[in-house]
Amino acid sequence: MSVDLIFPMGKFEARIPTDRVYSSNHLWLQETANRYRAGFTSYSVRLLQDVYFLDWVIDPQSSVRERQEIGEIESSKALSTLYAPFAGIVRAFNEKLLDDPSAINTDNYGTGWLFDFETDAVPLTPEAYVALLADGWEETQRTLKGQFQ
Amino acid sequence: MAGKKITVVLSQAQGKNPQRRHLEEEIATALIMAPDVDCSVVPHLYDMSHDHTGMLFLRSVPGDLIVLSWLFPRAAHWTLDRAGVKGHEGESLLRDDESDNESDLPQEDDTSLDSIGALDVPNRKIYCIDLRVDDSPQAFINEVRRISDESSIQTVDLMQWINGNPKKDQLERYLHPQQLLQLEVPRSNENGQNRNGQEEDGASNGDSSHQPEPTKRRWYPVIDYDRCTNCMECIDFCLFGVYGIDHRERILVEQQDNCKKGCPACSRVCPENAIIFPGHKTPAIAGADGEVAGLKIDLSKLFGAPSKSALELAVEERDVELVRDGRDAVGMEVGVPKRQTETVATPRDALDDLMDGLDDFE
Repeated sequence: MSVDLIFPMGKFEARIPTDRVYSSNHLWLQETANRYRAGFTSYSVRLLQDVYFLDWVIDPQSSVRERQEIGEIESSKALSTLYAPFAGIVRAFNEKLLDDPSAINTDNYGTGWLFDFETDAVPLTPEAYVALLADGWEETQRTLKGQFQ
Repeated sequence: MAGKKITVVLSQAQGKNPQRRHLEEEIATALIMAPDVDCSVVPHLYDMSHDHTGMLFLRSVPGDLIVLSWLFPRAAHWTLDRAGVKGHEGESLLRDDESDNESDLPQEDDTSLDSIGALDVPNRKIYCIDLRVDDSPQAFINEVRRISDESSIQTVDLMQWINGNPKKDQLERYLHPQQLLQLEVPRSNENGQNRNGQEEDGASNGDSSHQPEPTKRRWYPVIDYDRCTNCMECIDFCLFGVYGIDHRERILVEQQDNCKKGCPACSRVCPENAIIFPGHKTPAIAGADGEVAGLKIDLSKLFGAPSKSALELAVEERDVELVRDGRDAVGMEVGVPKRQTETVATPRDALDDLMDGLDDFE
């Protein structure tokens, strides 16, 4: 078994499992058969906090461009549009989350998965993802504090 | 004695939003009747010029002061500070409390380590309360009571100040605080039509022909000196002569009305987020402290929104205003923060290589 990586967010430790790969927009992708299952990383979830509402604006089996808008999320702390991590095809969404998105908070690396995705892109390794988090941490804090973007 | 009363100033909303007017009216009516409170109504804080009677009145208040306004407390505090109404920040319990339960996320004190701070702050407190945090007049009335009780304990300090060596006009102002502005309430009839009626209430001593001095909508930056480090990036960036330097070589907003309505570009280039535009739609630019109840943070950029950087936005906004003035757009050529060029000058390191490597994956 591989050991999880840890990215410290203040006192909170975001766990980054090494059994999967990542996208720069803070999703994890785990290969299953010929596709990836995707979900929020602990870093994302920590910033969102309690998720109240999740909605997708595309249908399953849709081809998407990289960074195409695919949905929306509302949590206790934030509102955000969601974007495709890479160019590819969104095969299916986790239907259970539409009624009750709480699994995103309780089991983000498991039953709180978001969608199944096919792509030819090469995602980030866990190490590269943690490096990206470290590099962006200062700006993320500014964003949170200043909301300037 | 008048000195034991706390002064409450209610700053009216811009425009004629009936809900806002109603709340103001309810609060003012209750407070004007309250025995331990001196309540006055002034126009919107941000819109009053330096020599507006409302501002003159605010400057004449010697002791603790409660200011109720439709502004974020930070915006109100620094708008007052710039107008010469100075004091230490009084803590109101009536504010967005949702932002206080974060111990592990970065919510450190807003005061920047290198900030230059406000100068000449007298030993009194100014409590700025945002009228948007509650719909019920009673919430504000209760909070005024609480602060009034808290403040009366400190009367000793105040008396020492007045027993010290006040100038004659200070003493005069202290003993006879002006009640110069009266509540003007547009009265609406059953059909919802507004007539300019005036409501006389017992505590108001003005005559009915007295009209409050009108204000115009203004737009200008307000500097939070608890954040400002005097780095001068704003004065370098703004090409409209808004900023200046005082005799102590501190940055200040010198020519407020040179500012271009709607343009918040300088606040975007400020590395400390110290520049407030109280009327901007983005809460952080309007002076919100961190998260705001009801107004959530937007994490879209984090999740991949293809957005422009704050600097790119600022440059675009500035160019629009330059062109509107019949001048040439300057793009990134002028006054772009020095830290950008420093970044380029930094030697590459392993992380740069790694990051560039990541780009290749995409």
